[in-house]
Amino acid sequence: MMRDSGGAAGFTLFEMLIAMTIMLFVVAGVFSVFNPSQGAFQAQPEVSDMQQRLRMGVDTLHKDLVMAGAGTYSGAAVGTLTAFFAPILPYRVGTQASDPASGVFFRSDAISIMYVPTTASQCSIRDQMPQPSSEVKVNAQPGCPARDPLCGFEQGMRVLIFDDTGSWDTFTITNVQSDALHLQHRDDTFSKAYGPGAIITQVSMHTYWLRSDVQSSQFQLMHYDGYRTDEPVVDNVVGFETAYLGESEPPVLHKPVTDPVGPWTTYGPKPPAMGVDNRSDSWGAGENCAFMVDPASGAQVPRLAQLGPPGSLAALAPSQLTDGPWCPDGANPNRYDADLLRIRQIRVRLRVQTGEPALRGPAGTLYTRGGQGQAGDRLVPDQEIRFDVSPRNLNLGR
Amino acid sequence: MAGVSTRRLRGRLACQDGFSLSEVMVASGILATGLVTVAQLFAVSTDANRVARRTSTATILAEQKIEQLRALTWGFDPLGLPTSDFSTSVAVSPPQATGGTGLSASPPDTLTTSTTGFADYLDAYGNWIGTGAVTPSGTVFVRRWSIEPLPTNPNNTLIFQVMVTRIGQPTAAGPAVRLPDIVRMVSVKTRKAT
Repeated sequence: MMRDSGGAAGFTLFEMLIAMTIMLFVVAGVFSVFNPSQGAFQAQPEVSDMQQRLRMGVDTLHKDLVMAGAGTYSGAAVGTLTAFFAPILPYRVGTQASDPASGVFFRSDAISIMYVPTTASQCSIRDQMPQPSSEVKVNAQPGCPARDPLCGFEQGMRVLIFDDTGSWDTFTITNVQSDALHLQHRDDTFSKAYGPGAIITQVSMHTYWLRSDVQSSQFQLMHYDGYRTDEPVVDNVVGFETAYLGESEPPVLHKPVTDPVGPWTTYGPKPPAMGVDNRSDSWGAGENCAFMVDPASGAQVPRLAQLGPPGSLAALAPSQLTDGPWCPDGANPNRYDADLLRIRQIRVRLRVQTGEPALRGPAGTLYTRGGQGQAGDRLVPDQEIRFDVSPRNLNLGR
Repeated sequence: MAGVSTRRLRGRLACQDGFSLSEVMVASGILATGLVTVAQLFAVSTDANRVARRTSTATILAEQKIEQLRALTWGFDPLGLPTSDFSTSVAVSPPQATGGTGLSASPPDTLTTSTTGFADYLDAYGNWIGTGAVTPSGTVFVRRWSIEPLPTNPNNTLIFQVMVTRIGQPTAAGPAVRLPDIVRMVSVKTRKAT
């Protein structure tokens, strides 16, 4: 047997040592790449996923915020909604879990906006409503077929009603009696009984709010449609914060309110004519939430303060947005602070985290919610962006 | 049977001389090069992610400035006369009513050189940190814009261009030096009849 294997010389100890050393280096090399590459394989898809979510969040918010306040463009009233009421509200409004119902009028992690989409459904009220809950009798829309005078409106449509007193309501049409020109709204009672001339239009209503549920660890940017649907927009959002910049000048009358053609004010609802009292609110004759009668001069003057040099934008503090004066008045369930009419720019901060706790380090600057991550090459810090939105339909001079 | 197969195996082994040291060195050299190349791929993918993020942020920042310019007064008053904003300073945050040039036409080259009133500086999160011709420290993004009247309708139509670059990038706008993460946006605004 030894003789058989005699052809192979075998290795010397020296050769073996060299071979093993080389082997050792090669294996060490393989492992030194293998370990971080595993980390990269875990971390990098998370990073791009976070970026994707951040981009998605910015896109969704921007798309709606930039439209805020777009008003009716055909029919009785034309122009931005800020000439009537505040279309941007720093809290949640709607049929379910409405913030004003629980006395909350400012949240930095919620925003509601309203705008009129491209729609054929724009008309005005024909007769005074006897009760806030009664059905709405409206004028026929122009340009509809003879048998169908309310061609645009349909059951289930989300609709906005507002008038020149600063009141507004949203409702969902539960039935359309086209021939009788009636719109029914069984699910929502209005804040008041609207009179003839109030505008009814289809509305696009959006509330964005931050769900921070530590128990179930659900951190989501949520969208609420103002009616019955809350749905998540972006997962693992740990920061959503809004701040507001507003017109520093108060609303000013620039033509007599008796003039039949508006707009009468630079922004905000117009006051009733001198000596005329709007009985649906608690303000005096010739006054509303934005204008009061100056006892000295007897003229209608702005009720709001000047916040800075004319024409510039001023930061609006939460205290300013919750201290009144209230529109249409302090008792209205849909009341809003008159300073909300000033809003011209919205500053948003959005922050997302990785959904994998093992990739998050201890809570701190880099991580809003701490995780169990240890190794440096397997940590994915939160990503954040801040951006401003200047809604296109709030500057009347445009 | 077992004996036969063992003998055959030993016979085959006996014919081989093994590898020389130089062969082993060459082989492990190739292996090492391969490993280094693969390792570099991770750095490349990480970098691609970073560039993607920067580009997204730059796009958002450019969009923001375009919208801000579009929101300035540029229309007709109730008498049908043009009203234009020629005084707002959009280069500062929050924007000021005075001290700026509003929608006045910008001087040439505001996209390639930082010009007071047509450039601002932002940090990695998109926070505004300054304006003017000198880049403040902490800047990550440089945002420059231009406002040009449309040659065929100079009184009523404007062309807005916004360019966002990362600090330290070449500034000339020509196609020769455009890097993938330079963002440039163009928009047109016309006076709207009411």
